[in-house]
Amino acid sequence: MLIRNVITLTLNDLAIAFKNKTIYLILFIPFFVFFSLKLVDRTGSDFKKINIGLLQQELYAPAIVQAIKSADRIFSVFPVSSEGEGNRWLKEKKIDGLLVKSEKEQHSLILVVLRKESLQTLAIVESLAALQKAVEGKSVNWLVDIKPLQEGGMQKQTLPTWILMLILLVSFIILPAQVAEEKEKKLLLALLQTPMREIEWLMAKLLLGMILIFIAVLFLHLLGNFDFGNVASYLTFVGVGSFCFSAYGIFLGFLCRNQASARTLGVIFYLPHLLPSALSDFSQKLTAVAPFVPSYQFYEPIKSILLEGGGIVNLWPPWIYLLLVGLSFFFFTYFLMKKRWLM
Amino acid sequence: MQIEIHQLTKVYQEKRGLLPVNLEVEKGELIAVIGHNGAGKSTLLKMLASWLVPDSGQVLVDGINLENRLAVVRKVGFVPETPNLFDFFSVQYNLEIFARLFQVSVSRIEEILTEFALLPFRKNKIQVLSKGLRQRVSIGRALLADPPVLLFDEPTSGIDFEMTQEIYRMLKNFHASGKTIIFTSHRPEEIKALATRIIVLHQGSLVFDGSPQQYFDSEIHEKLYQC
Repeated sequence: MLIRNVITLTLNDLAIAFKNKTIYLILFIPFFVFFSLKLVDRTGSDFKKINIGLLQQELYAPAIVQAIKSADRIFSVFPVSSEGEGNRWLKEKKIDGLLVKSEKEQHSLILVVLRKESLQTLAIVESLAALQKAVEGKSVNWLVDIKPLQEGGMQKQTLPTWILMLILLVSFIILPAQVAEEKEKKLLLALLQTPMREIEWLMAKLLLGMILIFIAVLFLHLLGNFDFGNVASYLTFVGVGSFCFSAYGIFLGFLCRNQASARTLGVIFYLPHLLPSALSDFSQKLTAVAPFVPSYQFYEPIKSILLEGGGIVNLWPPWIYLLLVGLSFFFFTYFLMKKRWLM
Repeated sequence: MQIEIHQLTKVYQEKRGLLPVNLEVEKGELIAVIGHNGAGKSTLLKMLASWLVPDSGQVLVDGINLENRLAVVRKVGFVPETPNLFDFFSVQYNLEIFARLFQVSVSRIEEILTEFALLPFRKNKIQVLSKGLRQRVSIGRALLADPPVLLFDEPTSGIDFEMTQEIYRMLKNFHASGKTIIFTSHRPEEIKALATRIIVLHQGSLVFDGSPQQYFDSEIHEKLYQC
């Protein structure tokens, strides 16, 4: 009897899981992780050569250039037209490091990398030191300095990822559930029996999402004592990002009839928006795919503002993009609301 | 004519709903809409309350098309079968938020609390109230803007005898004060005690429209409750 009841209840729970779409989550997460891992570059089993950029116009010491080019099992040399292009390629993961001539010491180099505290930087330094020892037999380094494009320690380096996580958490987990709850309990219909306009309800929900996001982000800064970089640019970008993703989340909530479905759908959208942006730093393939995900258009500018001293003036394409995405979701939701979709 | 319904249609995926229905309602009528489950009673009321968008047809309330929701919203109050209130807030908060949206004065909230004997419960959260009390709050909320038309979807469903009698008294009082009332019901005694006109819906179509006397004298009553 006991076992029969347990089986009956388990089957009933499974049926509920099917009904509220939890089962999709169970299937989706392994599929998504598998797909993401496919996009992460293989390391370990296959030796990965270091892609090093050399400026075309730079007068490097011939011995150094010769040594690097001859070590073609360790280094792939990429000619770079200017330091600006080199920096861009570093961000796009086309090269792992850029060598520029030191102005202070003749025949010495400065290594430009994305981050100082990374395994890639360590690999370049070690390889160059070994190469130099093999060629010249001296222990004095060719490298006199390492210049990272992104400043700050590990805490600050990971800050953009945490901020993205907070924004997506509010937008894809909290907001859809709240919207679906209002639909499920017919509270939205009760509100629509008052002289409240549909657009007013939508704007209130957007404002709620934006306020929650700002509170979460500011609280994180306060706790970690992290600086804001360019404050105006940073707050503007968090503003436009919170608008975009709040509108997105409200739309997801509107697609669902109940809270359980909204939570499942929220997680299904949360993971793909978080991972490509967070993992793009580790993979050239993901860097190529990530820009198609709206979160990347928020993550990269925030990273630039917080870690590279970037400003909103240079970041208007993602700014416009996020605004347009947000407006599109806002009007999709308005349309569904007018139709009393699943209400 | 207070309400004019022309060719109102709503079909769900399961083919149920409301087939084209035409109806005219005079000011001050107390109409019972009856029929089996799935006959279209709630669908009709929900469309009149703007909860559902009709597939076709139109509804005029005091000559204003229901599509113009903002112009009609103060004219129609709807009390759903299950009270849809903010459960985690108090009775007073629930009335206040809707009063703000209706832009009615604070004194109106006091009137409603007094009229519906809710004063002792004003600070209580909705989730701790009985269904009968919740229904009272729901009715009170529908009356905040003092609409001339009131819609009740099975107002006594799941409510004990005492509260049912109280709701009957309320409906009679609203009717006596000149309001137009449409309610759905499954209870013959309710229909007999309250209605001035009866409408029977069957599989989405209007099959009877007449006085309670005509209804109880007709075969349709027996057929309806034999099935």
